[in-house]
Amino acid sequence: MNKIKVENLSFSYTPNDLVLSNINITFDNRTTAIIGQNGAGKTTLVKLLKGLIKPISGDIQINGTSISSQSVASLAKQIGLVFQNPDDQIFKQTVLDEVMFGPLNIGINEVEAKNAAIEALSLVGMSKHENSNPYDLGLSERKLIAIASILSMNTPIIIFDEPTIAQDFISKEKIKNIIRYLQFQGKLVLTIIHDMDFVAECFERTIVLCKGSVLIDDETKKVFQNVDLLKEAHLELPHVARLSKELALKNLSLTIDDFITDWFNY
Amino acid sequence: MKSITLYEYKNSFLNHIDPFCKLLYILAALSIPLILGVSVTKLIFIAISIFLIISNKVFKKVIPLFTFSAIIILTAIIIQGLFYSNNKHIILQLGPLKFYKEGLLFAYHIALNVLNILLSFAVLIFTTKPTDLIDSFVRVGFSPRFGYVLSSVFQIIPQMSETMSTISDAQKSRGMESEGNLFTRIKAFFPLISPVITSSLINTRERAIALEVRGFNSTTKKTFLNQQTRTRKDKIINIILLLLIILSSIWRIITCLK
Repeated sequence: MNKIKVENLSFSYTPNDLVLSNINITFDNRTTAIIGQNGAGKTTLVKLLKGLIKPISGDIQINGTSISSQSVASLAKQIGLVFQNPDDQIFKQTVLDEVMFGPLNIGINEVEAKNAAIEALSLVGMSKHENSNPYDLGLSERKLIAIASILSMNTPIIIFDEPTIAQDFISKEKIKNIIRYLQFQGKLVLTIIHDMDFVAECFERTIVLCKGSVLIDDETKKVFQNVDLLKEAHLELPHVARLSKELALKNLSLTIDDFITDWFNY
Repeated sequence: MKSITLYEYKNSFLNHIDPFCKLLYILAALSIPLILGVSVTKLIFIAISIFLIISNKVFKKVIPLFTFSAIIILTAIIIQGLFYSNNKHIILQLGPLKFYKEGLLFAYHIALNVLNILLSFAVLIFTTKPTDLIDSFVRVGFSPRFGYVLSSVFQIIPQMSETMSTISDAQKSRGMESEGNLFTRIKAFFPLISPVITSSLINTRERAIALEVRGFNSTTKKTFLNQQTRTRKDKIINIILLLLIILSSIWRIITCLK
C-alpha cells in the first residue's frame, strides 16, 4: 500500500506570507481530490510532494522515507505528475519517443521502455498516433500523450494537475476510466481540480484547501454535505448535488446514477 | 510574474516629471560637455546626476551600476596607463609596471564619460515607468508598432522565464537530471529549449491575433489610455535645458570665431 505522510508542513515564497501553514495529511490508497479556490495552495502542495520546492518547515514521507534527502529526478521513480499544459513538456518528434522519455530517464532499458510506452498509449487510446508528431495533434490529444508519458513510468503514485481542463465529454470519460484503472491497479491517485462533477464521480476522498490550510478532509460525499464550509471556501456543489438539494431529496446524490436510484425511492 | 524593469515607484520628484524632460536632461548632460569641450562640465553633470539619484531615493539600486562601471574604469586605467600610444612621462612605477601621465589622463577622461553616460541614463531609467516612456515616444509621432515592440519586451521576457521554469519542473518530474556535470546539462538542454521555443511561437501568434481583433492595425488616429500630464514645472525644466544647450553652442561658436 502506498502512503504519503505530510507532517506540520509550511511553505512560503516570500517571508511572512505563508502559502501553506501547518498542513497534516496522510494520503492512503483512496483516490483523493484536492480542491480549493485559486491561490488556496493546491499547486504549491503538489510541488512540495514532488520535491520541486522545499518546505520551510515540516516533513513529507513517502512509504516511510523522507523526501527531503532525495533529488527530484530520483523521486520521479515514485511519483508521477501530469502537468496542466501538455505543451510544457512535449519536445520529441514522435509520440512514442515522447512517451519513452520518462521511463528511459529513470533507468528502464530501451526494450522495456518501449513496451511500457506502447501499453500506456493503448491505455489512453492513442496507439494509432504512435508515429505522429505530437504538434500535428490537437490539444486534448496532446493532453492524453502527456498522461501516457507519466503512466509509462509506472510510478506507484500519480498526481494529475487539472486533468479535465479544455477536455470534451469523451476525453473526460477517457480520463475517468484511466483514473479508475490506476485505482484498480492499486496506485495512489491524487488530483488538483476545479471540476466538481468530476470529483463527485471519480474520487473517494476530497480535501478542501482554503487560504493555505486544510478546511475539510473527508469522504467525498460527506465533504459535499458541508454546504456552509464549502461556501466559506468559495466552492460550488456538483450539479447533481445541487439538483437533489433543490428538490429536497432525502439523500444528497453526487452522481447521476445515485440520483436516479434516489428519485425512484422518493 | 517577476518584473524586469529597474523602475520602482517612490513618489519622488522625478517620478512625476515628464519622461521627455529626463530624456532632454540626458541630451544636455551628453551634448554640453561635447560642445564646450571642457571636462569640468562632465564633473558638474555627474554631480547633478548623483544629487538627483540620491534625492529621489534610488541610490541603493544604482550601486550595482557603479560596481559594473568600476570594472570598466579600472581596466581603462591599467591598460591606458601602461600602453597608451602617446605615453611619455612616467608618473608611477610598481616593479616592472610603468604608469604614464598621458595614459592616466586619457583613462580619467574615459572614466568621466562612462560615469556621465551611466548616471544620466540612471536618472531616467530608475525613475520612469517603461510604459510611460514608450507612451511619450508614441505621442511625439513614433509608430505605435514601434511602441508595442518595445513594451512587449517587458512582458515577454518575464513570461518566457516563467514558462522556462514550468518546463524545467515538468521535465525534472519525468526524471530528467538537470544538475551535475557539463554532459548532463547539455543533455538537459533540448528537453528544455524546444518546448520554450514552441510555446513562445504559439504565444506570439496568439498575441498577434489578440492584437488584431482589438483593431491594432486600424488606420484611425489612436488615443491613449493615460492622459498626458505635462505640468508647468516640466515646461520650465525643458526650457532651461534647451536654453543651456543653445547657450553653450553660441558660446562655442563665438570662441571659435575669435
